[in-house]
Amino acid sequence: MDVLNNLVAGFQTALTFKNIYLCFIGCLWGTVVGILPGIGPLAGIALLIPATFGMDATGAIIMLAGIYYGAMYGGSTTSILMNIPGESASVVSCLEGYQMTRKGRGGAALFIAAWGSWIGGTLGIAGLMFLAPLLANQAVKFGPPEMFALLLIAFILLGSLGKGSFFRTAPMILLGLLIGTVGMDQLTGTMRFTHGIKELYDGIGFIPVAMGVFGIGEILSSVEESLVRQAHRVRFRELLPSREELRASWGPIFRGTGLGFFIGLLPGSAHVLASFLSYTLEKRLSRKPQEFGTGRIEGVAGPETANNAASESAMIPFLGLGIPTGPAPAVMMIALLIHGVRPGPLFISEQPQVFWGLVASMYIGNVILIILNLPLVGLFINLLRVPFRILFPVILLVCLVGTYAVNSSVVELIILLVSGVLGYLFRKFDFDIAPFILAMIIGPTIEMTFRQSLMRSGGSFSIFWASPISLALFALSGVLLLWNVYRALRPKRASWEKVLEEGT
Amino acid sequence: MTKERGGSIIFLAAGIYGLAFSMGFPMGKWNAPGPGVFPLSLSILLCTFGFVWFVQGRAKEGEKPRERLAGLFGKSGTPLQIIGLTAAFIFLLEPLGYLLAAMLYTFTLFFLVSRYKVWISAALAMAFGAGSWIFFTKVLSTPLPTGLLGL
Repeated sequence: MDVLNNLVAGFQTALTFKNIYLCFIGCLWGTVVGILPGIGPLAGIALLIPATFGMDATGAIIMLAGIYYGAMYGGSTTSILMNIPGESASVVSCLEGYQMTRKGRGGAALFIAAWGSWIGGTLGIAGLMFLAPLLANQAVKFGPPEMFALLLIAFILLGSLGKGSFFRTAPMILLGLLIGTVGMDQLTGTMRFTHGIKELYDGIGFIPVAMGVFGIGEILSSVEESLVRQAHRVRFRELLPSREELRASWGPIFRGTGLGFFIGLLPGSAHVLASFLSYTLEKRLSRKPQEFGTGRIEGVAGPETANNAASESAMIPFLGLGIPTGPAPAVMMIALLIHGVRPGPLFISEQPQVFWGLVASMYIGNVILIILNLPLVGLFINLLRVPFRILFPVILLVCLVGTYAVNSSVVELIILLVSGVLGYLFRKFDFDIAPFILAMIIGPTIEMTFRQSLMRSGGSFSIFWASPISLALFALSGVLLLWNVYRALRPKRASWEKVLEEGT
Repeated sequence: MTKERGGSIIFLAAGIYGLAFSMGFPMGKWNAPGPGVFPLSLSILLCTFGFVWFVQGRAKEGEKPRERLAGLFGKSGTPLQIIGLTAAFIFLLEPLGYLLAAMLYTFTLFFLVSRYKVWISAALAMAFGAGSWIFFTKVLSTPLPTGLLGL
């Protein structure tokens, strides 16, 4: 009953004219950034952070979250109609969706993608509203050793879920952690790696690094390809799927919801992983796996549902534990911190109007998105007719202004450019970027909890296995580490691992 | 250079840099670990991974180094142009102001990288430079440098 009462209160917050308007703007902008290749949800959120300065925390997070899950909806459009993923999680939709477009069934693929996204998103929010408070209640009991053990698990999972082997992802995590140490040490006030540059005293900004490696890095890689791209036209009447296509989609949609919801709880590019695993699962379960790659609707329905469910469940560790599981939640966390709200175990009990207002707004946002992405899809497709050689200078400008606007700092623009070059090089060398970015933002917390634990125990490492919770978490992290090392060293790969390594 | 070696050079450079500077930070004691412990440990691990990848990523027999480099960076001319132009934009942003710098930046991108004709590039740069200025400063109230024009 508590959940329902809180949800009613949340709807009272979300259903004000101002918050519906902000939710609509977030969803609209999210759809646009999802559709446009090169601007992902990360850049989309970062760009609108300065616009939230005059808002309350609830309005700000409602709008920014709208961009995040809105981008998941929009990302499929470009994949299906142009064979270019608008968003990284939509890479898989290119495989079947574009083939369907070539057969004249692009409209049906768009319909199923939007329908699956709506179901996955709505069920994901239901999971979020039940699980996040439960998780937060448990996490309140966590002290520094338990938190350290939990973050250790997060890092090992980051290493195992990234592109390539654990040994390939581990140095990216270490690099992110090292960059996270730049700035004033929070316990002693010692400056680390600042070289007298006062803009670095608070550390290297997360937004310029994330926008650089994802936004600028992506553009630098993309311009090496052809600058001419073509979008297919879709008429409204072509959107309706056939009875067979609808029937074939139900199973993948519900399997995608469950799989995506679970994967979304894990750190890393969960929504990307969820869509890849869902595709692999559907191919395995299909009676005609040989037809995958020629335009099977199951290959659109499952992955598109899974990435939406994952984007909703990714909010659970972010809001309940204060651990962002992906770059976009990390930027949202920064926006909340700017508004004086710290996500974590106490967030739901101390800021119930923000949490429940957000949950309620997500239900509203999912309805807005299905309207935007089905009847109005034709309008958005017009965006894709803008040639990429016009689009990319605009995207670069958006990244530069988005970064500058947060702190009005030229140093952050330099960091953006350097990060862009790094992002470009990492793409060239096939190293996964998401773990690097997440390590950078979680790094200061893991260092702090490690040092606080040792200070509390007077230097004794036994504090890390003194409580049953931390003992269990350490045991789990040990098992995960051994499994990862084994997986990295063994000569043969499982089929799902091969798909991940080739695809992400 | 193989992909693994390319990555290993970045890791080694970061590790050596971290090692060189973190050794100067206070290390503290076990009951009060200092600010140097974490960066030092990370730098050692980064150097180790960098070294392992450097050794692992050595060229296989029969592969010509020049071919591998060309394969990796053969089309990097355009990205290099963009990096240079973006660096110039960052350098000129505060002295010139956003409006002027954005128009110059987009003009050079449209003209040099996108290969539009001069007048088309100029029209696009005016439209996007001024349009983005109006959008950011008037609609989103984003504080942007005013520079020479005072706008």
